[in-house]
Amino acid sequence: MKNSIKNFYIEFSAFLTPLISILALVLLLSVPRSSDYWNFLRQSPFYAGIYFWQSQRPDVFNIFSAFILGIFADVLGSVPIGINIMTFLVLYIISVQFSLRFNIKKFSYSWLLFITALLATLIFKALIVSILYRQIIPINLWAIELLLTCALYPLLARIYIWVERRYIHLEERYEKIQQ
Amino acid sequence: MRRQKILFIKQNYILRILKTFIMAGLFAIALLLILVHKIDIGVFSGISKGVFYITTPIIHTITLPAKGLSYAYKKTSEIINVYKENQRLTKENDELFLLKDNIKALKAENALLKNMLHHIDIPQIKSRTARVISENGNAFAKSLILYLGKAHKEIKPGYAVLTPNGMVGRIDIVSGKYARVILITDINSKIPVVSEKSRDRGILTGTNTNELRLIFTPLLSELQPGDLLVTSGIGGGLPPDIPIARIKEIKMDSITATPLFNTSKIEIVKILLYDITPSNKTLKDLE
Repeated sequence: MKNSIKNFYIEFSAFLTPLISILALVLLLSVPRSSDYWNFLRQSPFYAGIYFWQSQRPDVFNIFSAFILGIFADVLGSVPIGINIMTFLVLYIISVQFSLRFNIKKFSYSWLLFITALLATLIFKALIVSILYRQIIPINLWAIELLLTCALYPLLARIYIWVERRYIHLEERYEKIQQ
Repeated sequence: MRRQKILFIKQNYILRILKTFIMAGLFAIALLLILVHKIDIGVFSGISKGVFYITTPIIHTITLPAKGLSYAYKKTSEIINVYKENQRLTKENDELFLLKDNIKALKAENALLKNMLHHIDIPQIKSRTARVISENGNAFAKSLILYLGKAHKEIKPGYAVLTPNGMVGRIDIVSGKYARVILITDINSKIPVVSEKSRDRGILTGTNTNELRLIFTPLLSELQPGDLLVTSGIGGGLPPDIPIARIKEIKMDSITATPLFNTSKIEIVKILLYDITPSNKTLKDLE
Protein backbone atom coordinates (compact mmCIF):
# COMPACT_ATOMS: atom_id res chain seq x y z
CA MET A 1 0.00 0.00 0.00
CA LYS A 2 2.76 2.35 1.05
CA ASN A 3 4.74 1.46 -2.07
CA SER A 4 1.77 2.02 -4.38
CA ILE A 5 1.14 5.48 -2.86
CA LYS A 6 4.82 6.26 -3.28
CA ASN A 7 4.73 5.04 -6.89
CA PHE A 8 1.66 7.16 -7.61
CA TYR A 9 3.30 10.21 -6.07
CA ILE A 10 6.47 9.67 -8.13
CA GLU A 11 4.50 9.20 -11.36
CA PHE A 12 2.33 12.23 -10.72
CA SER A 13 5.24 14.53 -9.88
CA ALA A 14 7.17 13.21 -12.91
CA PHE A 15 4.16 14.03 -15.09
CA LEU A 16 3.87 17.53 -13.62
CA THR A 17 7.59 18.38 -13.91
CA PRO A 18 7.63 19.09 -17.70
CA LEU A 19 4.46 21.19 -17.43
CA ILE A 20 5.76 23.23 -14.51
CA SER A 21 9.19 23.75 -16.11
CA ILE A 22 7.62 25.01 -19.35
CA LEU A 23 5.13 27.28 -17.57
CA ALA A 24 7.83 28.70 -15.28
CA LEU A 25 9.92 29.72 -18.29
CA VAL A 26 6.89 31.18 -20.06
CA LEU A 27 5.98 33.26 -17.01
CA LEU A 28 9.59 34.44 -16.71
CA LEU A 29 9.53 35.59 -20.33
CA SER A 30 6.24 37.42 -19.75
CA VAL A 31 8.07 40.11 -17.79
CA PRO A 32 7.79 43.39 -19.75
CA ARG A 33 10.99 44.44 -21.53
CA SER A 34 11.77 47.52 -23.60
CA SER A 35 12.49 45.57 -26.78
CA ASP A 36 10.02 44.42 -29.42
CA TYR A 37 12.15 41.36 -30.22
CA TRP A 38 11.65 40.11 -26.67
CA ASN A 39 7.98 39.62 -27.52
CA PHE A 40 8.80 37.05 -30.15
CA LEU A 41 10.45 34.86 -27.53
CA ARG A 42 7.46 34.62 -25.23
CA GLN A 43 6.11 31.40 -26.74
CA SER A 44 9.52 29.79 -27.27
CA PRO A 45 9.46 27.72 -24.03
CA PHE A 46 6.18 26.15 -25.19
CA TYR A 47 7.53 25.08 -28.59
CA ALA A 48 10.94 24.01 -27.30
CA GLY A 49 9.40 22.30 -24.27
CA ILE A 50 6.83 20.27 -26.19
CA TYR A 51 9.46 19.10 -28.67
CA PHE A 52 12.09 18.39 -26.02
CA TRP A 53 9.93 16.53 -23.53
CA GLN A 54 8.13 14.52 -26.18
CA SER A 55 11.32 13.44 -27.90
CA GLN A 56 13.40 12.83 -24.76
CA ARG A 57 10.87 11.72 -22.15
CA PRO A 58 7.68 10.48 -23.84
CA ASP A 59 6.87 8.56 -20.64
CA VAL A 60 6.21 11.78 -18.69
CA PHE A 61 4.86 13.97 -21.49
CA ASN A 62 1.83 12.95 -23.51
CA ILE A 63 -0.73 14.56 -25.80
CA PHE A 64 -2.82 15.74 -22.82
CA SER A 65 0.18 17.72 -21.55
CA ALA A 66 0.35 19.49 -24.94
CA PHE A 67 -3.40 20.14 -24.72
CA ILE A 68 -3.13 21.67 -21.22
CA LEU A 69 -0.21 23.87 -22.32
CA GLY A 70 -2.31 24.98 -25.28
CA ILE A 71 -5.06 26.24 -22.98
CA PHE A 72 -2.52 28.28 -20.98
CA ALA A 73 -0.96 29.69 -24.15
CA ASP A 74 -4.37 30.69 -25.51
CA VAL A 75 -5.37 32.46 -22.33
CA LEU A 76 -2.04 34.23 -21.76
CA GLY A 77 -1.93 35.34 -25.38
CA SER A 78 -5.08 36.85 -26.76
CA VAL A 79 -5.76 34.46 -29.61
CA PRO A 80 -9.11 32.67 -29.63
CA ILE A 81 -9.10 29.57 -27.41
CA GLY A 82 -8.22 26.56 -29.53
CA ILE A 83 -5.58 27.99 -31.85
CA ASN A 84 -2.57 27.29 -29.65
CA ILE A 85 -4.09 23.98 -28.53
CA MET A 86 -4.28 22.86 -32.14
CA THR A 87 -0.80 24.22 -32.90
CA PHE A 88 0.75 22.38 -29.97
CA LEU A 89 -1.03 19.15 -30.93
CA VAL A 90 0.46 19.49 -34.42
CA LEU A 91 3.93 20.08 -32.97
CA TYR A 92 3.45 17.10 -30.66
CA ILE A 93 2.47 14.80 -33.54
CA ILE A 94 5.37 16.01 -35.71
CA SER A 95 7.83 15.40 -32.90
CA VAL A 96 6.37 11.91 -32.29
CA GLN A 97 6.91 11.09 -35.96
CA PHE A 98 10.44 12.52 -35.89
CA SER A 99 11.42 10.55 -32.82
CA LEU A 100 10.14 7.36 -34.46
CA ARG A 101 11.97 7.92 -37.72
CA PHE A 102 15.19 9.77 -36.92
CA ASN A 103 18.10 9.56 -34.52
CA ILE A 104 17.29 12.25 -32.00
CA LYS A 105 19.93 11.25 -29.48
CA LYS A 106 22.53 13.50 -31.10
CA PHE A 107 21.85 17.11 -30.13
CA SER A 108 22.73 18.63 -33.53
CA TYR A 109 20.20 16.32 -35.27
CA SER A 110 17.64 17.04 -32.62
CA TRP A 111 18.12 20.78 -33.13
CA LEU A 112 17.76 20.50 -36.92
CA LEU A 113 14.62 18.44 -36.53
CA PHE A 114 13.23 20.99 -34.08
CA ILE A 115 13.75 23.75 -36.68
CA THR A 116 11.87 21.67 -39.26
CA ALA A 117 9.07 20.81 -36.84
CA LEU A 118 8.70 24.43 -35.74
CA LEU A 119 8.66 25.69 -39.33
CA ALA A 120 5.82 23.30 -40.18
CA THR A 121 3.98 24.22 -36.95
CA LEU A 122 4.23 27.98 -37.48
CA ILE A 123 3.10 27.68 -41.11
CA PHE A 124 0.09 25.71 -39.84
CA LYS A 125 -0.63 28.33 -37.15
CA ALA A 126 -0.29 31.23 -39.59
CA LEU A 127 -2.72 29.47 -41.93
CA ILE A 128 -5.32 28.92 -39.20
CA VAL A 129 -5.08 32.51 -37.91
CA SER A 130 -5.19 33.90 -41.47
CA ILE A 131 -8.29 31.86 -42.28
CA LEU A 132 -9.97 32.81 -39.00
CA TYR A 133 -9.37 36.55 -39.40
CA ARG A 134 -9.52 36.52 -43.21
CA GLN A 135 -6.25 38.39 -43.23
CA ILE A 136 -2.80 37.06 -44.06
CA ILE A 137 -0.32 37.09 -41.15
CA PRO A 138 2.85 38.84 -42.40
CA ILE A 139 5.52 36.21 -43.03
CA ASN A 140 8.33 38.37 -41.58
CA LEU A 141 6.67 38.30 -38.13
CA TRP A 142 6.47 34.57 -37.70
CA ALA A 143 9.84 34.16 -39.45
CA ILE A 144 11.41 36.27 -36.68
CA GLU A 145 9.61 34.16 -34.08
CA LEU A 146 10.93 31.02 -35.79
CA LEU A 147 14.53 32.26 -35.96
CA LEU A 148 14.65 33.54 -32.40
CA THR A 149 13.04 30.40 -31.00
CA CYS A 150 15.47 28.18 -32.92
CA ALA A 151 18.39 30.27 -31.70
CA LEU A 152 17.17 29.99 -28.11
CA TYR A 153 16.52 26.22 -28.31
CA PRO A 154 19.96 25.07 -27.04
CA LEU A 155 19.60 27.23 -23.93
CA LEU A 156 16.03 26.11 -23.27
CA ALA A 157 16.97 22.47 -23.90
CA ARG A 158 19.85 22.83 -21.44
CA ILE A 159 17.39 24.08 -18.78
CA TYR A 160 14.99 21.21 -19.50
CA ILE A 161 17.86 18.69 -19.31
CA TRP A 162 18.79 20.10 -15.92
CA VAL A 163 15.16 19.85 -14.76
CA GLU A 164 14.93 16.29 -16.01
CA ARG A 165 18.10 15.18 -14.23
CA ARG A 166 17.29 17.05 -11.05
CA TYR A 167 13.60 16.28 -10.58
CA ILE A 168 12.68 13.13 -12.49
CA HIS A 169 14.19 10.10 -10.82
CA LEU A 170 14.65 7.58 -13.56
CA GLU A 171 16.18 4.96 -11.25
CA GLU A 172 13.06 4.73 -9.12
CA ARG A 173 10.93 4.11 -12.22
CA TYR A 174 13.24 1.29 -13.26
CA GLU A 175 12.90 -0.18 -9.79
CA LYS A 176 9.14 -0.07 -10.08
CA ILE A 177 9.16 -1.93 -13.38
CA GLN A 178 11.52 -4.56 -12.04
CA GLN A 179 9.20 -5.33 -9.08
CA MET B 1 26.51 15.37 -24.55
CA ARG B 2 25.92 12.15 -22.60
CA ARG B 3 22.35 11.20 -22.05
CA GLN B 4 20.54 8.89 -19.72
CA LYS B 5 18.75 5.83 -20.96
CA ILE B 6 15.37 6.56 -22.46
CA LEU B 7 12.45 4.57 -21.27
CA PHE B 8 10.54 2.89 -24.10
CA ILE B 9 7.00 1.78 -23.55
CA LYS B 10 5.75 -1.26 -25.45
CA GLN B 11 2.38 -0.60 -27.02
CA ASN B 12 -0.09 -3.11 -28.21
CA TYR B 13 -2.39 -2.76 -31.20
CA ILE B 14 -5.51 -1.75 -29.21
CA LEU B 15 -3.59 0.89 -27.28
CA ARG B 16 -2.30 2.37 -30.55
CA ILE B 17 -5.83 2.61 -31.98
CA LEU B 18 -7.05 4.16 -28.73
CA LYS B 19 -4.24 6.71 -28.91
CA THR B 20 -5.20 7.65 -32.47
CA PHE B 21 -8.81 8.14 -31.37
CA ILE B 22 -7.74 10.32 -28.43
CA MET B 23 -5.56 12.40 -30.76
CA ALA B 24 -8.44 12.87 -33.21
CA GLY B 25 -10.78 13.71 -30.31
CA LEU B 26 -8.46 16.39 -28.95
CA PHE B 27 -8.12 17.89 -32.42
CA ALA B 28 -11.90 17.96 -32.74
CA ILE B 29 -12.20 19.67 -29.33
CA ALA B 30 -9.61 22.30 -30.35
CA LEU B 31 -11.47 22.94 -33.62
CA LEU B 32 -14.76 23.20 -31.75
CA LEU B 33 -13.24 25.66 -29.27
CA ILE B 34 -12.04 27.88 -32.14
CA LEU B 35 -15.46 27.79 -33.78
CA VAL B 36 -17.45 28.57 -30.62
CA HIS B 37 -15.02 31.25 -29.42
CA LYS B 38 -16.78 34.01 -31.32
CA ILE B 39 -20.24 32.95 -30.10
CA ASP B 40 -19.02 33.67 -26.56
CA ILE B 41 -20.60 30.75 -24.73
CA GLY B 42 -20.46 31.22 -20.96
CA VAL B 43 -18.60 27.96 -20.24
CA PHE B 44 -15.65 28.88 -22.45
CA SER B 45 -15.34 32.41 -21.12
CA GLY B 46 -15.44 30.76 -17.67
CA ILE B 47 -12.46 28.51 -18.58
CA SER B 48 -10.58 31.56 -19.91
CA LYS B 49 -11.28 33.51 -16.75
CA GLY B 50 -10.25 30.57 -14.55
CA VAL B 51 -6.87 30.07 -16.22
CA PHE B 52 -6.32 33.83 -16.33
CA TYR B 53 -7.15 34.03 -12.60
CA ILE B 54 -4.46 31.43 -11.79
CA THR B 55 -1.66 32.71 -14.03
CA THR B 56 -1.79 36.48 -13.67
CA PRO B 57 -0.86 36.73 -9.95
CA ILE B 58 2.19 34.51 -10.69
CA ILE B 59 3.24 36.79 -13.56
CA HIS B 60 2.73 39.79 -11.31
CA THR B 61 5.00 38.32 -8.61
CA ILE B 62 7.71 37.45 -11.14
CA THR B 63 7.67 40.95 -12.64
CA LEU B 64 8.33 42.67 -9.29
CA PRO B 65 12.15 42.22 -9.14
CA ALA B 66 12.49 43.03 -12.85
CA LYS B 67 10.41 46.16 -12.35
CA GLY B 68 12.63 47.18 -9.41
CA LEU B 69 15.74 46.93 -11.59
CA SER B 70 14.05 48.78 -14.42
CA TYR B 71 12.98 51.55 -11.99
CA ALA B 72 16.54 51.91 -10.66
CA TYR B 73 17.92 52.19 -14.21
CA LYS B 74 15.28 54.76 -15.16
CA LYS B 75 15.95 56.90 -12.08
CA THR B 76 19.71 56.83 -12.66
CA SER B 77 19.36 57.96 -16.28
CA GLU B 78 16.92 60.68 -15.15
CA ILE B 79 19.48 62.01 -12.65
CA ILE B 80 22.18 62.05 -15.34
CA ASN B 81 19.95 63.99 -17.77
CA VAL B 82 18.34 66.32 -15.21
CA TYR B 83 19.83 69.60 -16.56
CA LYS B 84 18.95 68.85 -20.19
CA GLU B 85 15.45 67.80 -19.18
CA ASN B 86 15.00 70.97 -17.12
CA GLN B 87 15.86 73.19 -20.11
CA ARG B 88 13.47 71.27 -22.34
CA LEU B 89 10.65 71.50 -19.79
CA THR B 90 11.13 75.26 -19.27
CA LYS B 91 10.81 75.81 -23.02
CA GLU B 92 7.79 73.54 -23.23
CA ASN B 93 6.19 75.29 -20.24
CA ASP B 94 6.40 78.69 -21.96
CA GLU B 95 4.66 77.28 -25.03
CA LEU B 96 2.00 75.63 -22.89
CA PHE B 97 1.16 78.91 -21.10
CA LEU B 98 0.31 80.48 -24.44
CA LEU B 99 -1.71 77.44 -25.44
CA LYS B 100 -3.58 77.43 -22.12
CA ASP B 101 -5.00 80.93 -22.75
CA ASN B 102 -6.12 79.90 -26.24
CA ILE B 103 -7.81 76.75 -24.89
CA LYS B 104 -9.63 78.75 -22.19
CA ALA B 105 -11.07 81.13 -24.79
CA LEU B 106 -12.08 78.26 -27.10
CA LYS B 107 -13.68 76.35 -24.22
CA ALA B 108 -15.79 79.35 -23.24
CA GLU B 109 -16.85 79.87 -26.85
CA ASN B 110 -17.65 76.16 -27.22
CA ALA B 111 -19.82 76.17 -24.07
CA LEU B 112 -21.69 79.23 -25.33
CA LEU B 113 -22.36 77.69 -28.76
CA LYS B 114 -23.44 74.38 -27.22
CA ASN B 115 -25.85 76.25 -25.00
CA MET B 116 -27.31 78.16 -27.93
CA LEU B 117 -27.77 74.97 -29.98
CA HIS B 118 -29.21 72.96 -27.01
CA HIS B 119 -26.48 70.40 -27.60
CA ILE B 120 -26.76 67.10 -25.65
CA ASP B 121 -23.38 66.19 -24.23
CA ILE B 122 -22.13 62.62 -23.75
CA PRO B 123 -22.25 61.54 -20.09
CA GLN B 124 -19.38 62.55 -17.82
CA ILE B 125 -16.74 59.85 -18.22
CA LYS B 126 -15.20 58.34 -15.09
CA SER B 127 -11.79 56.75 -15.36
CA ARG B 128 -9.46 54.47 -13.40
CA THR B 129 -5.71 54.01 -13.75
CA ALA B 130 -4.02 50.61 -13.86
CA ARG B 131 -0.49 49.28 -14.07
CA VAL B 132 0.73 47.08 -16.93
CA ILE B 133 2.27 43.90 -15.54
CA SER B 134 2.85 41.99 -18.73
CA GLU B 135 2.65 42.33 -22.47
CA ASN B 136 2.17 39.68 -25.07
CA GLY B 137 3.02 40.74 -28.57
CA ASN B 138 4.02 38.03 -31.00
CA ALA B 139 3.24 37.32 -34.62
CA PHE B 140 -0.25 36.11 -33.78
CA ALA B 141 -1.60 38.38 -31.04
CA LYS B 142 -1.03 41.68 -29.29
CA SER B 143 -2.23 42.15 -25.73
CA LEU B 144 -1.42 43.55 -22.30
CA ILE B 145 -2.19 42.31 -18.80
CA LEU B 146 -3.20 44.95 -16.25
CA TYR B 147 -3.33 44.93 -12.48
CA LEU B 148 -6.59 46.62 -11.49
CA GLY B 149 -6.44 46.35 -7.70
CA LYS B 150 -9.59 47.51 -5.95
CA ALA B 151 -11.04 48.97 -9.15
CA HIS B 152 -11.63 45.49 -10.64
CA LYS B 153 -15.33 45.52 -9.72
CA GLU B 154 -15.98 48.59 -11.87
CA ILE B 155 -14.11 47.42 -14.98
CA LYS B 156 -16.01 45.57 -17.69
CA PRO B 157 -14.97 44.02 -21.02
CA GLY B 158 -15.11 46.54 -23.86
CA TYR B 159 -13.92 49.59 -21.92
CA ALA B 160 -11.36 51.80 -23.69
CA VAL B 161 -7.76 51.79 -22.45
CA LEU B 162 -5.70 54.94 -22.96
CA THR B 163 -2.20 56.35 -22.56
CA PRO B 164 -1.49 60.10 -22.54
CA ASN B 165 -0.93 59.85 -26.33
CA GLY B 166 -4.22 58.16 -27.18
CA MET B 167 -6.12 54.92 -27.19
CA VAL B 168 -4.18 51.64 -26.96
CA GLY B 169 -6.91 49.03 -26.84
CA ARG B 170 -10.00 47.61 -25.16
CA ILE B 171 -10.56 45.40 -22.13
CA ASP B 172 -11.06 41.79 -23.19
CA ILE B 173 -11.26 39.73 -19.97
CA VAL B 174 -11.54 40.76 -16.32
CA SER B 175 -10.72 38.03 -13.82
CA GLY B 176 -9.90 38.63 -10.17
CA LYS B 177 -7.83 41.79 -9.84
CA TYR B 178 -6.43 41.49 -13.36
CA ALA B 179 -7.58 42.31 -16.87
CA ARG B 180 -6.40 41.52 -20.37
CA VAL B 181 -6.36 44.26 -22.99
CA ILE B 182 -6.56 43.59 -26.72
CA LEU B 183 -4.36 46.23 -28.35
CA ILE B 184 -5.54 48.15 -31.41
CA THR B 185 -2.61 46.59 -33.31
CA ASP B 186 -4.04 43.08 -32.75
CA ILE B 187 -5.43 41.46 -35.88
CA ASN B 188 -8.73 40.93 -34.05
CA SER B 189 -9.22 44.64 -33.22
CA LYS B 190 -11.69 46.73 -35.21
CA ILE B 191 -12.44 50.30 -34.07
CA PRO B 192 -14.83 52.75 -35.74
CA VAL B 193 -12.90 55.97 -36.35
CA VAL B 194 -13.28 59.35 -37.99
CA SER B 195 -10.67 61.71 -39.41
CA GLU B 196 -10.27 64.71 -37.13
CA LYS B 197 -9.91 67.09 -40.10
CA SER B 198 -12.13 65.80 -42.91
CA ARG B 199 -14.57 63.85 -40.66
CA ASP B 200 -14.42 60.89 -43.07
CA ARG B 201 -15.36 57.67 -41.32
CA GLY B 202 -13.74 54.25 -41.47
CA ILE B 203 -12.85 51.14 -39.49
CA LEU B 204 -9.34 50.89 -38.09
CA THR B 205 -8.09 47.30 -38.05
CA GLY B 206 -4.95 45.79 -36.56
CA THR B 207 -2.49 43.70 -38.56
CA ASN B 208 -0.30 42.35 -35.71
CA THR B 209 2.45 44.68 -36.95
CA ASN B 210 3.14 48.28 -35.98
CA GLU B 211 0.91 49.42 -38.82
CA LEU B 212 -2.88 49.67 -38.84
CA ARG B 213 -5.23 49.52 -41.81
CA LEU B 214 -8.12 51.88 -42.41
CA ILE B 215 -10.95 50.14 -44.23
CA PHE B 216 -14.52 50.98 -45.32
CA THR B 217 -13.67 54.63 -46.04
CA PRO B 218 -15.94 56.64 -48.39
CA LEU B 219 -14.95 56.66 -52.07
CA LEU B 220 -14.51 60.42 -52.22
CA SER B 221 -12.87 60.87 -48.85
CA GLU B 222 -10.47 63.76 -48.30
CA LEU B 223 -8.02 61.91 -46.10
CA GLN B 224 -4.39 63.05 -46.18
CA PRO B 225 -1.17 61.51 -44.83
CA GLY B 226 -0.55 62.89 -41.35
CA ASP B 227 -4.27 63.27 -40.50
CA LEU B 228 -5.20 62.30 -36.97
CA LEU B 229 -7.80 59.55 -36.59
CA VAL B 230 -10.07 59.72 -33.56
CA THR B 231 -12.78 57.38 -32.28
CA SER B 232 -16.15 58.09 -33.86
CA GLY B 233 -18.25 56.96 -30.89
CA ILE B 234 -20.57 55.09 -33.25
CA GLY B 235 -22.09 52.04 -31.59
CA GLY B 236 -21.80 53.58 -28.13
CA GLY B 237 -19.02 51.27 -26.97
CA LEU B 238 -16.34 53.96 -27.05
CA PRO B 239 -16.44 57.68 -26.30
CA PRO B 240 -15.97 59.93 -29.34
CA ASP B 241 -12.86 61.99 -30.21
CA ILE B 242 -10.15 59.92 -28.53
CA PRO B 243 -6.96 60.12 -30.63
CA ILE B 244 -6.05 56.67 -31.87
CA ALA B 245 -3.69 56.78 -34.90
CA ARG B 246 -2.17 58.97 -37.58
CA ILE B 247 -2.50 58.26 -41.31
CA LYS B 248 0.84 57.13 -42.73
CA GLU B 249 0.24 56.35 -46.36
CA ILE B 250 -2.66 56.47 -48.81
CA LYS B 251 -2.54 54.16 -51.82
CA MET B 252 -5.11 53.30 -54.46
CA ASP B 253 -6.21 50.16 -52.64
CA SER B 254 -5.17 50.68 -49.03
CA ILE B 255 -4.74 53.26 -46.29
CA THR B 256 -2.21 52.59 -43.54
CA ALA B 257 -1.90 54.34 -40.19
CA THR B 258 0.53 54.26 -37.29
CA PRO B 259 -0.59 53.95 -33.64
CA LEU B 260 0.25 56.76 -31.22
CA PHE B 261 2.00 54.54 -28.67
CA ASN B 262 4.98 52.27 -28.30
CA THR B 263 3.84 49.02 -26.65
CA SER B 264 7.10 48.35 -24.83
CA LYS B 265 6.98 51.76 -23.14
CA ILE B 266 3.48 51.52 -21.71
CA GLU B 267 3.63 51.33 -17.92
CA ILE B 268 0.43 52.92 -16.65
CA VAL B 269 -2.86 53.21 -18.50
CA LYS B 270 -6.19 54.91 -18.00
CA ILE B 271 -9.41 52.93 -18.34
CA LEU B 272 -12.53 54.87 -19.32
CA LEU B 273 -15.70 53.63 -17.63
CA TYR B 274 -17.84 54.39 -20.61
CA ASP B 275 -20.39 52.24 -22.36
CA ILE B 276 -23.64 53.64 -23.64
CA THR B 277 -24.41 50.74 -25.96
CA PRO B 278 -28.20 50.43 -25.97
CA SER B 279 -29.60 47.23 -24.48
CA ASN B 280 -31.44 44.71 -26.67
CA LYS B 281 -34.77 45.87 -25.19
CA THR B 282 -34.03 49.52 -26.01
CA LEU B 283 -33.00 48.58 -29.54
CA LYS B 284 -36.29 46.70 -30.02
CA ASP B 285 -38.26 49.67 -28.69
CA LEU B 286 -36.43 52.01 -31.05
CA GLU B 287 -37.20 49.75 -34.00
